[in-house]
Amino acid sequence: METNPAILLLIGTAVLAVTAVFLWPEKGILSRWQQGRQMTDRARREDALKHIYKCEQKGRRASVESIAGALHISTNDVAELLGDMQTSHLLHIHSDNITLTSEGMESALHIIRAHRLWERYLAEKTGFSESDWHSQAELQEHQLTPEAADALAAQLGHPTHDPHGDPIPNAAGSYVYHGGQPLNELAADQPARIVHLEDEPEAVYAQLVAEGLYPGQTVRLIESNSTRIRFWANGNEHVLAPIVARNISVRPLPAVVEEETAVSEKDHGTRLSDLPLGETAEVIRISPNCRGAERRRFMDLGILPGTAITAEMRSPSGQPTAYRIRDAIIALRPNQANYIYVKQV
Amino acid sequence: MTTVNPTVNPNDILQTAESLRWEIGPEFHEQLMEGIYTEAAKLADRAVTRPEEKPRFDLDRTIDKIVTSRVWGFPMMILLFTVVFWLTISGANVPSSLLATLLIDKTVPLLHQGADFLRLPWWLSGLLIDGMYLGTAWVISVMLPPMAIFFPLFTLLEDFGYLPRVAFNLDNMFRKSGAHGKQALSMMMGFGCNAAGVVATRIIDSPRERLIAIITNNFALCNGRWPTQILIASIFIGGLVPAYLGGLISALSVVGIALLGVFFSFVVSWGLSRTMLKGEVSTFSLELPPYRPPRIWQTIYTSVIDRTLIVLWRAIVFALPAGAAIWLSANITIGGVSIAEHLISFLNPFALLIGLNGVILVAYIVAIPANEIVIPTVLMLTVLVTGTDAGAGAGVMFELDSQADTMALFSAGGWTLLTAVNLMLFSLLHNPCSTTIYTIYKETGSKKWTAVAALLPLAMGFVVTFFVAQIWRLFAG
Repeated sequence: METNPAILLLIGTAVLAVTAVFLWPEKGILSRWQQGRQMTDRARREDALKHIYKCEQKGRRASVESIAGALHISTNDVAELLGDMQTSHLLHIHSDNITLTSEGMESALHIIRAHRLWERYLAEKTGFSESDWHSQAELQEHQLTPEAADALAAQLGHPTHDPHGDPIPNAAGSYVYHGGQPLNELAADQPARIVHLEDEPEAVYAQLVAEGLYPGQTVRLIESNSTRIRFWANGNEHVLAPIVARNISVRPLPAVVEEETAVSEKDHGTRLSDLPLGETAEVIRISPNCRGAERRRFMDLGILPGTAITAEMRSPSGQPTAYRIRDAIIALRPNQANYIYVKQV
Repeated sequence: MTTVNPTVNPNDILQTAESLRWEIGPEFHEQLMEGIYTEAAKLADRAVTRPEEKPRFDLDRTIDKIVTSRVWGFPMMILLFTVVFWLTISGANVPSSLLATLLIDKTVPLLHQGADFLRLPWWLSGLLIDGMYLGTAWVISVMLPPMAIFFPLFTLLEDFGYLPRVAFNLDNMFRKSGAHGKQALSMMMGFGCNAAGVVATRIIDSPRERLIAIITNNFALCNGRWPTQILIASIFIGGLVPAYLGGLISALSVVGIALLGVFFSFVVSWGLSRTMLKGEVSTFSLELPPYRPPRIWQTIYTSVIDRTLIVLWRAIVFALPAGAAIWLSANITIGGVSIAEHLISFLNPFALLIGLNGVILVAYIVAIPANEIVIPTVLMLTVLVTGTDAGAGAGVMFELDSQADTMALFSAGGWTLLTAVNLMLFSLLHNPCSTTIYTIYKETGSKKWTAVAALLPLAMGFVVTFFVAQIWRLFAG
């Protein structure tokens, strides 16, 4: 070879580095360019509509500054954007007061519907993890036409709530919101049901998911002070910082339901993954966090409330563990067995 | 008695239904489904009676305790598979050379006599006999015996119920790379034949893990590539050490390449599950079926019919045109130089850059249908390029009986130790054969995943050989 191998080595490394910078998933130039292309004027407009709508719902007032913060653009750009939107009859601006026209309201509701349907779709029909749902739906909400959203809703069986517990507006744009209160404000010992987990900011949501919390779960506050919130959920005690617990909305349970939960709380049970080898236990329920194909697979295997399961043996490499389920030996990994709650008999 | 109120408006009913939908809660589909399943289970439990008494001695659990024990589990597994591979390699030698003698040494001259008798023009008999027939015969004699031994042995272990326990033992390793424990089995099958390995991924019921297993199956060094590895290792790497160590060192280097393949398959599984395949649905469950005495004759019959013959048939279908292409490329000349030589000199600069040579790259292009014919094609093309007097004529594949002669031919072709090492690496890391590519397409039904499975290993092969070549030249001068 004529060329010096050291030079070729450098060229080769450079080519690999450039390829990596260009094609690296999520952070590479190509995928950034794809994301950037989706940030069109229309997307900005729709994001602004969504922001104003959410402010109205929360009883707050949307301002140029709050929109700039939500959309990560400068206040000058926001002013221009709002001007455009006013000429297209999407909103009214009276001095400081920004409100949606009925047309603007309709668009905002469609975006929210598309976003929440897409989250539901990701949860049920794909393998993306919880922490990816929101960011993916943020992009996809601008792509779904109303017709596509209707088709998706039909495919999913017209769901009423997204996986975080937010209601999905129907095709006409109406929905019922069972508002809750932050967990922090609940009276001690008062049983309540989680109605919503806020999915923003992502780090906080990831923490809630890691705790195994989900909408529909029954919780009971033990202690609430300025440094920490202690509460029961899933038969376990959880401790969260107040700022994190604020993202959990709950609704106190009526007296009748309260009695029912008082009984069931005793046998909240343990996770199947904690069952010692050789012991037998009865299934109480499958966690609602287990969705889609995974949940159906459990049911196909006959893992249902009342089914007896015996832990038989463990792989020499530490996991999975083999269980006897309805006379068949099925091996499950710990992260799956965590979804199954059992009580020992 | 209920009376129908004529003033009820259907829209009111719809509205009531709509408002009730919000009352029943978000999980009602799940609850309904769970209810149906629970009811079905109850019905079944009521109808099916089971003997209450449990046998005191449970043979299955006793076997399981041994084959999945912390002490004996892994040693037993390694021992069993060593025996299977040893039986395959040593058992296939005799029938392979027998087939080669019969199909090639004896039949080819006969066919030529027949062609002369019929007064066929030289190009027709060359194309039909030296091209198509010889290529196919070569594939059959190399491929058939090991497969006819390996597949039945493997199927026996499967039938006995041992293989799911292997997946159970190894699952944790595969889980860490985002794959399924059963990939251990499809990978093992891939050591026999990648096309069969790809078909074997059907046992993985989780879509994401199955795609991973399909795409990475090519990193299991298949039956068609072992002879290349063994030949090159014993000529070049075994030749580096004293004769009494030669056999051991060359065997170790081939095993090293195979382990490197396993390593790559873990790395690529890890990468794919976190990037391209992130969104595919993933579930895990692994049934450990009861043991049963293997049904030997039935197993041999089905594994020969289902696995060996189907794969062999596909290989023949692809080998026929490949044989023709090889012969034609060496015999059609443009400006007095054959197409093969044109291609070789065209590819040479790039090939030398990655530490190979034009002959090897051209051999890999025409041998896409079957890895078995890479070495015969390389030898034939080297003779064509160097003009030495070995071989049986332009476009006629051959192998030399003596390693010294083979080495002499390679030296004449300008091969170095680097060429040999990079050929071994490239033999591991290149596109799967056309039979496998076609099988991947049949199994995934997707052009995208077929393209990924075909091009990813090739790109990796270019990158690895390029860097090895540059670093080698930097340090070895």
